[in-house]
Amino acid sequence: MRVLFINNNGAGWADYVDVPSLQPVHQFFEEHMPDQTPEDYLIRVNRQPVPPTYVLQENDRVTITPVKIHGGIG
Amino acid sequence: MNDKEIARVAAAIELAIWRIQMLRYTHCLQQLSVFVSRLNGVANSSKRLGIALSHHWLAAAEHCCTGIAKRLNEFPALMSAIRSLLERRRKRPPSFSAIIEELKAAETEFGDLTFDREEQALCVVTEPIVLEDVYLGPFHILLILERLGRPHYGNPCRLVAVDPNPAAGDETVTHPHVSNETLCEGDGTVAIRAALEEGRICDFFCIVRSILTTYNDQSAHVSLSDWDGVPCHECGYVMDGESSYYCDSCGDAVCDQCSVVCTNCGEIVCSGCSSMCEVCGASLCTTCAKGKCIACESICCESCLDNGLCPTCREERECEDEEENQSHEKNETTEKHESETAATGPELAARQTHPPGTCSAVQSHGMGEAPALPGQG
Repeated sequence: MRVLFINNNGAGWADYVDVPSLQPVHQFFEEHMPDQTPEDYLIRVNRQPVPPTYVLQENDRVTITPVKIHGGIG
Repeated sequence: MNDKEIARVAAAIELAIWRIQMLRYTHCLQQLSVFVSRLNGVANSSKRLGIALSHHWLAAAEHCCTGIAKRLNEFPALMSAIRSLLERRRKRPPSFSAIIEELKAAETEFGDLTFDREEQALCVVTEPIVLEDVYLGPFHILLILERLGRPHYGNPCRLVAVDPNPAAGDETVTHPHVSNETLCEGDGTVAIRAALEEGRICDFFCIVRSILTTYNDQSAHVSLSDWDGVPCHECGYVMDGESSYYCDSCGDAVCDQCSVVCTNCGEIVCSGCSSMCEVCGASLCTTCAKGKCIACESICCESCLDNGLCPTCREERECEDEEENQSHEKNETTEKHESETAATGPELAARQTHPPGTCSAVQSHGMGEAPALPGQG
């Protein structure tokens, strides 16, 4: 099945990705954000907060936004 | 915001995203024009190379090749920029309903979403921000819709501190990465641009919040270690309470480097309130700098003044006195001499005072009536 993955890490991009059916959102995170911890990210499905065990559905919209982004001086 | 207002704002956002799309196409066209002009340049050089070869002009051929090589070097960067613009172009603008969902999501995420009609800006408020134990307070994140897709209108994002605790050294810096209400996005620049271009309003606010809740000590307007304290009135250096001095004259805070100790009374003053003895160069406070030479009015410390005079004026005065004395003595001698002359008679006086031949009684040829001497009738 296909979900829209919006990754606001780094350059930020949005694209459809294929995921196995009945995949919980924590597994999706581990797969697409290797070496990262979920605590460092704001994870939303269809713009809403969900528990890690939430099972992704076809055409779900997964947004991952880092909670820490380094600003600059101009 | 009620549904009606959300719909109205969503329409404004839709228009703004349309402007962004237009701007992107315009950029695309500009880059392509540059690319085509460079390509034409290569084509012209190629023609010239053909002509040079047909005439066996090797030097001219070499010149053409150098020019082509130089132009080709510009191609990779140019092509990369065009490719990036073309790829971004593929992204579809969000639907009206998607924008409405974004607005509702932002409302849920931040607790409240308002629309400032005057500024035409969407606004959310963050939680109070504390970085490394420094309280910075909550921030209004404003997205000014009129500025979206209009880069010459200025930054579309404004950050207003609700309960400001600006840096001690610069009141315009309300956050290490916010100056004059403008956020310096740093690592979030591209992600913010992407979110706005795609109409992901909630993501935009979340990314800005993530920047606000992060401290990048490598790239801060004002370091948090210098946030609190007292800024030096002279140089702006932020001092902690223990290492700051206060000018005894004007009360301004000054750092160790900018403070001056009066050599006369020991008071600490800022450089603006300090003066210098024009004779020995000693630093003086305002009170001690009131001592002036009565003759030339130059500022002098107590030790350099003698009877109200600086050494130079004193020396001058001494010279003048000496000259006066000498002239007085000379006058006295002359007077004495004159009185002696008066005592010996006018004849002697006339002899002494009139050189030979100048006396009215003696003519130039040496003849004439001799002057009558006293007693000769």
